[in-house]
Amino acid sequence: MVLAAMLALLLPAGAALAAKPIVLGCPLSTAFLYGWDAERAINLAVEEINAAGGVKVGGEMRPLKVEVIDTRDLEPGVPVSEALMGVEKLILEKHANFIVGGPVRSEAALAAMALLSKHKMVSILTTGALTPKYHAMVGKKPEKFKYLFRISGEAKWMVLGELVPCLSDIGKQFKLDKLFIMVQDVSHARTGGKILKKVMSKKGWKVLADPVVYPTGTTDFSMGLLEAKKKGAQVIIIWMDMPESAILLKQWYDMKVPALPFGTIIAAAEQPGFWKATDGKGEYCLANVVNAGNAPSNATPWTMKFVKAYQKKYGMEPEGYGTSSSYMAVYVLKDAIERAGTINSDKVAAALKKTDLMGVYGRIRFDPKTNQIIPSLDPKEGAVGTVFQWQAGKRVVVFPPKIATGKILLPPWMKQGK
Amino acid sequence: MDILIYGVINSATLALMALGFTLVYGVSRLPNFAHGALYVLAGYICWLLLNRLGLPYILAIALALALVAVVGGAMYQLILVRIRGMSISEIIASYAIGLAILEGLRWGGLKGGTFTLPSFLDGSVDIAGVSVDFQRILVVVLGALLVGLLYFFVNHTRLGLALKGMAQDERAALTLGIDSDRMAVASMALGSLSAAVAALILLPLGSIVVEAGYHVLIMAVAVCIVGGLGSWTGAILAAFVIGFAQILTTAYLGAHFQVVVAILAIILTLILRPSGLFGKQKELEERV
Repeated sequence: MVLAAMLALLLPAGAALAAKPIVLGCPLSTAFLYGWDAERAINLAVEEINAAGGVKVGGEMRPLKVEVIDTRDLEPGVPVSEALMGVEKLILEKHANFIVGGPVRSEAALAAMALLSKHKMVSILTTGALTPKYHAMVGKKPEKFKYLFRISGEAKWMVLGELVPCLSDIGKQFKLDKLFIMVQDVSHARTGGKILKKVMSKKGWKVLADPVVYPTGTTDFSMGLLEAKKKGAQVIIIWMDMPESAILLKQWYDMKVPALPFGTIIAAAEQPGFWKATDGKGEYCLANVVNAGNAPSNATPWTMKFVKAYQKKYGMEPEGYGTSSSYMAVYVLKDAIERAGTINSDKVAAALKKTDLMGVYGRIRFDPKTNQIIPSLDPKEGAVGTVFQWQAGKRVVVFPPKIATGKILLPPWMKQGK
Repeated sequence: MDILIYGVINSATLALMALGFTLVYGVSRLPNFAHGALYVLAGYICWLLLNRLGLPYILAIALALALVAVVGGAMYQLILVRIRGMSISEIIASYAIGLAILEGLRWGGLKGGTFTLPSFLDGSVDIAGVSVDFQRILVVVLGALLVGLLYFFVNHTRLGLALKGMAQDERAALTLGIDSDRMAVASMALGSLSAAVAALILLPLGSIVVEAGYHVLIMAVAVCIVGGLGSWTGAILAAFVIGFAQILTTAYLGAHFQVVVAILAIILTLILRPSGLFGKQKELEERV
């Protein structure tokens, strides 16, 4: 009797595990933050889903299986073709049913679009690639690219929807209006830097120079910082996904540059281990982690549940901007497959378009024309971002106001403007 | 003034990166393409000793230096000795060892920017209105000290003179009873030690990342080609030429052009003066 009851309890999970798994192919640059954080988050979501019985496809419960290939696309000097080969291998050799994750570098993600549509492969981009070109291309050729979705933020919204309002708030609060921009020599950063210069100039800020562009792997930022100091910069925008951005912040601290560092994208400062790694020299640095849930906040009831689950499994808080979106992508895909009742690409893509669920970083819906997640500053309306500031060893969320847990502080060697 | 100050710092950085490479080539004509990997390995060993074993910083530094010197010597004794004199094989073998070290470290978990070493000195000072942090000043001071020590060692110690003898004329040195293989082991150990010293001085400025190994190797090769393979004076002069060219490029053309300076310097040297500023490879000159 007891055995029968135990068997009955175990049946759903057992049945799911016996069924043919749904393979999630994950092309990720695993040696870099935006690759390994996505891999960890995908694995966490898959474990949770499988533990709860799997994905209901028609009348059958099927488990999820993760296949990761290191695309190396974030490494300097690695050609885009490497990432494309990785994606093709996932489709042809690993028999992936869906692609979740990357390619991570914008250039590689754009190049993979044609390949994915040739194979009618539903793909949810979750990390890295911020270029607005991605969803613009989907919007331009909706039939060809109908299988391609992006569940994380993109550069245009990040600048216009988050960075500009956040900078305006900083400007008003501390009477600051002099901006200096330092970007990495990659597509999304160069584009973002140019847009930001144009927009902030129109908003009345003095943008002190064209964005200073640094090649991937730069280890000395002194000349740029000296220029910023000489020109009287009050806020330094940093847009870099390379780990060497930590050097920039150390130099900023050592040179006591009287300007607030704001990492629109700053891989090094996003990680919880950044504080220890820099001996606290990165204090006061602001960092955008693209989606809520990548730093602790109460954006939705699911946010802290996710943060705690990640912390329990990996011994640290979610690390970078690809974490919560990669986790969410698996749940969104599960939801779409269950609604479609099949894993057929056309039907799942159609179901994904109708997604509407409250996730880790707010309401998750895709723009019907471009398949880009709909962003918002209010988690009840759409996907919210997160800007945090390092304060006394903690990542304190300071923007958007609806989910903020603290206020922005200036470094002690910096004076408020007049 | 900022160009002058940061030009000197950048040049000292490049000289530090290249000294070990030029030392090994100068003495044993061995192109050690694992040089960059030994640089990263030194940083990582020190980080492990400091953070995992909790040793005092100074002890961790001393042990890391010793271990990397041993690794360098062992590399020659166990692997490179078998292909001695076959330049292409030496390049391939040493590069393969370097690759195995670097990718092995990555595979073992050396990822991201959180592996760092503490600065020796915190804070900064204004020099003629230009802010410079103490660690960068130390780079120049310790770089000059290292050059001085190596100069003293090579010219005023028994082992150094033997190494110098090997570099000048291997056959003549052999007739005087100097063991060629032992000298090669010593030069590899010394070259690896120099790479480790450079790492432990430079890495506190940033993070210990695998990519640094490739970067350091490219820079060391560029400095040595421009200066003339095996020439110390040439390497130091080339470090200053490339170092200042990089800073001037950053200041006047843009930081993203900085990356082409070293490569351009290699190409121009090979076209205009293939044996480099102070190179003595006459056959190369004659061939051109």
